[in-house]
Order: sequence, then C-alpha cells, then structure tokens
Amino acid sequence: MNNDFSKPQRESAFGIIIMGAHTMLKIGKASFFLFIIAFVKMSSTSFTYLILGISAIIVFSFIFAYLWYLKFTFFLDKEKQEFVVNKGIFNRDQVIIQLDKIQQVNINQNILQKIIGVYGLKIDTAGAHGEEVSIKAIDETSAYNLREHLLNRRAATEVQSEIEHENNKTEETPFLRISAWTLFKVGLTSNYGQSLALLAAFFYTVIYEGRQLLDAFKINKDEIQSTVTGMLTIVTVFILIACLLMVLLIINLVRTFYKYFELEISEHKNTLLLSSGLIAKKNTLISPNKVQITKYSQNYFQKKMNMLNMSLKQAQFGQSKKGHEMQGNTLEIPGCNPIERDELLKMILGQKLLKAKIFIPDWRFLNLPIFFKLILPVVAFLIIAFNVPEVKPYIGVSIAYFIIGTLMIYISYRRHRISVSQDFIIKTSGIWDISNEIVMPNKIQAITTFQYQWHKGVDVGHLTLHTAAGQIHFKYGNYTEIKQLVNYWLYQVERKNDNWM
Amino acid sequence: MTTETFFTNEVIDLDLLPKYEDIQLSRPHPDYWKIICINLFIFFGLLGITIGILLFFVDEVKPNAKWIIPLYFALLAIFLLLFRASFKKRGYAIRAHDVIYKSGVIAESTIIVPLNRIQHIELNEGIFSRMYKLGSLQLFTAGGQTGHIHISGIAIDEAKRIRDLLLKKIDLLENPITELNPNE
Repeated sequence: MNNDFSKPQRESAFGIIIMGAHTMLKIGKASFFLFIIAFVKMSSTSFTYLILGISAIIVFSFIFAYLWYLKFTFFLDKEKQEFVVNKGIFNRDQVIIQLDKIQQVNINQNILQKIIGVYGLKIDTAGAHGEEVSIKAIDETSAYNLREHLLNRRAATEVQSEIEHENNKTEETPFLRISAWTLFKVGLTSNYGQSLALLAAFFYTVIYEGRQLLDAFKINKDEIQSTVTGMLTIVTVFILIACLLMVLLIINLVRTFYKYFELEISEHKNTLLLSSGLIAKKNTLISPNKVQITKYSQNYFQKKMNMLNMSLKQAQFGQSKKGHEMQGNTLEIPGCNPIERDELLKMILGQKLLKAKIFIPDWRFLNLPIFFKLILPVVAFLIIAFNVPEVKPYIGVSIAYFIIGTLMIYISYRRHRISVSQDFIIKTSGIWDISNEIVMPNKIQAITTFQYQWHKGVDVGHLTLHTAAGQIHFKYGNYTEIKQLVNYWLYQVERKNDNWM
Repeated sequence: MTTETFFTNEVIDLDLLPKYEDIQLSRPHPDYWKIICINLFIFFGLLGITIGILLFFVDEVKPNAKWIIPLYFALLAIFLLLFRASFKKRGYAIRAHDVIYKSGVIAESTIIVPLNRIQHIELNEGIFSRMYKLGSLQLFTAGGQTGHIHISGIAIDEAKRIRDLLLKKIDLLENPITELNPNE
C-alpha cells in the first residue's frame, strides 16, 4: 500500500460523485427560486425544457467533477516537510503547506460521504490568509494515516513541552462527554444572538423571495397587506411574539444538537481530539499549545445549572474581520461542568490556575459609556418629546431605558477586571454572559498601552494585549500598575524564546 | 522560577526590571515634517481646486462662499497644528529585546513589540521620502492589523541599519524582505 503519501496521488474515485453532488447542490441552491418561478409560470409544453435544463446541470456538474478529480493530486514532501496539493481545471494551482504551520486537521463525514463510505479531510493552516486545503473523498485508513503523517513531525518537535508528563492517563478514553440532556440545557440557555441573526436572515430571504413569487403569480399585494394589518390586534401581536420566541428556542435547540451531538474530547498523543455532530460527524485534532486564548463563559441560568461554555481560540491571520472565518478558528465546547473545565484547562495550559492578583478599573470607566449611550440619547429624545406631542406619552420609556442602561453599565464596570499570576492573564468581562479569557504571557505578540491627556493627573490608562487570536483589553486601570505589568510581561516574553505556536 | 504567584515572590524583581516608559526615544528626522507638509498641501491643494471650481461654476454654491472659504482655511490651520503636535509626539526606540513606538496627541499610546515575535519587516520609501532620503519601517507580528508597528520618517541609512540589525537579531536574514514604493 502506498501509505507514506510521498508520491503524488489522486483522491478516491468516489470523489467524483461527492464533488459532482457538491457542485449540483451549489447550482441548485443558487437557482432554487428561479426553478419555482419557472415551474409555476411555465406551460406544460415547455416542461421538457425544464427536464433538459436540469439534466444539463447534472451532466455539467459531473463533467466538472471528473476534470477536477483528474487534476487534483496531493503528496507529502518528506525532505522539505511540506504537503503539496495540485489542483485547478483550467489554471494550475499549487498549494504548499509547511507541516509545522498546520494548525488542525479535520476529518469529516457528511451524509453522502457516509453512504459511499469515504471521509473528507480538511487542513487548517496558519498561512497568511487562512488558506486551507480540503480533500473531498478519501478512505478511512488513508485519512487517519494522512493525518498521522501531517501531525507526526510536530509531535516529535514538541517532546519538551510541559504538557507531556502531565498526562499519563489512559489514552483514547474521552475525558469529556456531553450528554443529550446537557445539550438540551445548553440549547435553552445560550447563543440566542446567533439564532436570532439566523432567524432574521431567514425571514429576510422569505420576504424578499416571497415578493418575487407574488410578482410571478401576479397576486394583488394590497389584498395581502390589508388582511395582514387586519389581523394585527394586540392579542395577536403577543401570540406572534410568543410564537417567535418558541421558534427561536427550537432553532437554538436544533442548532445545538446538530453541531454538538455526542461531543467528546479525548487525548491522543499530546493532542486533543474533538468529535461531535448529529448528521455529519466532525473530528478535529488540535495540539493544546496552539491554542492562543482559552475562554469560558457562563450566564445566570447556566450558573444555576452548574455548567459553562468554553471556547478555544487559535491563531487568526489575514485581514478578515470578526466574521465567519473567526468561527472556523474557534472551537466551542458547550455545557461542561466546572470539573471538566478544570481538566481541560489543565490540559491546555499545562497546569492549574493559581491564585492571582486582581486589578480593577477606575470609576472613570463609567463616564464615557454613560454619556454616549445614556445621557446623549435620552437628552436628544427628551428634546424631541417636548416639541413633538405625539412622542410625549413615551417619556416613561426613556426613563426606564436610562435606569436599565445605568444598571447594565454599572454591572459591566463591576465585572471588568484582569487578574495576573506568573503564568496566566485572566480577563473577566460581560454583563449577562460573564466570560473569562485566559492567555499565557508567552502568547503575547505585542502590547499597547495608552492614556488620554486628561487622565495623566489621575494616573489612569488602558492596556491592550495583542495575540494571534485577537486582543485583550483592560480599560481604565491604574497606569503605574499597568506599566509595571507590561514590564513584567515583556520580561517574560523576551527572556526565553518560547514558541507561541 | 518557583510556581508561586509572582507578587509574593518577585516584588523586588519587578522594580528592578527595565522600564519601558523611561526609555529615551529617538525622534523622527526633522525633514519628515516637510514631507507631512507636502502631503498636507497636496491634499488641501486638490480640495481647494475642487472648491474653487464649484464656487466659480455652480451658481447654487456661490452664496455659501462666505463660510466655505473661512472654513477651508480654518481646517488647514487645524490640520497643520494637529500634525505638528502629532509629529512632536512621535518617538521610537530599539532595545536589545524589543521595539517601542510612541505616538498620539489626544490619547498617547505606546506599542511594544518583542523581537522574537516579529514575523516580517517592511521598509518603504515614498516619492517624497526619497527626495529627503527618508524611509518608513514596518514591523509585523501575528497579532494582526493592530499589533504592528509603523515608524515613518527615519533617515534611510538609519532605517536600513535598524532593519539589518533587527533581521540579524531575529535570525530572519534568509527570508527576503519586501521593498515597496508606495506614494506616501
């Protein structure tokens, strides 16, 4: 068997089917509503054209997939320690990945891949633009073999890492397993924001496409509008809101189950193996010392249920703003209990969290947010309210806004703190979800301190720690203390040539 | 090092550590102020031409001339003052293990990049910089957009010396560095 991948090789021939289906799905998605419109508007005589069109797409997809399969080769360059992928149907693309730049190797299986019995393999790198390679079809042994090879070198170079002698437990047995019941609780208590965004996006497309459909059907829009407004009484609005909330919760639950079903973490030769997923099983292998920021967060409900969400942030490169790509480099572990958290932290950080010295911000932390988020809008609103009689009855709302806002800003002030010990920096923040971000000093890339001119007298200043996975801010601290801390961290970073990745 | 928390262990050490805030900073080359002025005057020249054309040819704009022209000159003066202040505030220092850059008028910020975290170095020379034999040095880290240092207005010989020094220090000499000529 050609097991060491040193010769250029194609992926499994099943890849044609996977790629073909993938392309078809893409085209299908893009033209889904087009098809519906065509289907409705069309007379029966041109039905054959539709069939022809669909089959043309299928044929095209598979020709494309076949060409893609022919041109896609990969091999492992042992001497240069590189993984080389050649691809591209019309233009020749060569992707070269240095093995020590590989951050994680994912082995996935979606439904189609499950039916055929092949695996997909994805390589995440720390390359300049987060470029990644994905092999769509590879049989199981080769997949695991390849992963072994890709991650092999790293294991050899990291023998000295502190993590190793910490973990001489039984290998391969998962030390963390999230049960369905926990997932249920997670789904009820977290990630409302993301589900809300999803729902909004869904409604937006439905309304947008719906309009086009209505145009296609030539239905009178005014009629619909009048029936809708006729239905809107106060009772129905409340029912509607209740329904929306229910939908939101259900979406939340489904999403959580889909993504994190049977989440397991086990230890595998100095690396962490995460696997989860309901329909598509996802396996992720990461080495703990590539994690830049470890974060755990908890809100009030979760605290009562004794569970918390963790996320492991890895290096984030390129110009991409906080968006989709960011999530790709963040591994979420929902619903651990404190014991599991400590276990995981110990694995990633190499040791237990110690008692630390806590730094809290100055009360001037409150000034700017209160002025810009509360006083300014409320004053503006009041000025409008006293001049426009229609707005006057809502003055009570602005008072409530002011009180709630003050409370929230005050809570955020009380939560905002940074605690520093020899090996860790822990930044705590949040209003509802209280998050703790843990950074090790050797992950610091650069440090910024800054101070407003008018804070010079009162010795208040700000601190930003730049890491490869984002920044950590500490605002309105005692500037003398901050400077001292900076000097200490610089000393820690510069004293030895620690690998940060 | 023991595993105890450092505040019970190394209090004395903390005060003995080198202090980044007390470092004597080098200022940008005085000629750099001329470049700032040239850039500023080019910008305001273009703006002035646009405004002039508008005032001359568009009748609706004409009555507003009495506040547009003073505003234009006020802006010019404010910008000159701001840039002058910011020019005065800039300073950099190369230490044995890190690079420090200080800047900012309203908020005075200091960024420190340890040498062993530098990913690559860029030396840029613009058209005007070239006339005055100046260059700007950029140090990139993996900390993304915000975690990098951009020092402009260093004499080109000095900049090259710093670059070579840094390259030597971070043992990066085999990697080619990019030299770009953007219009500053």
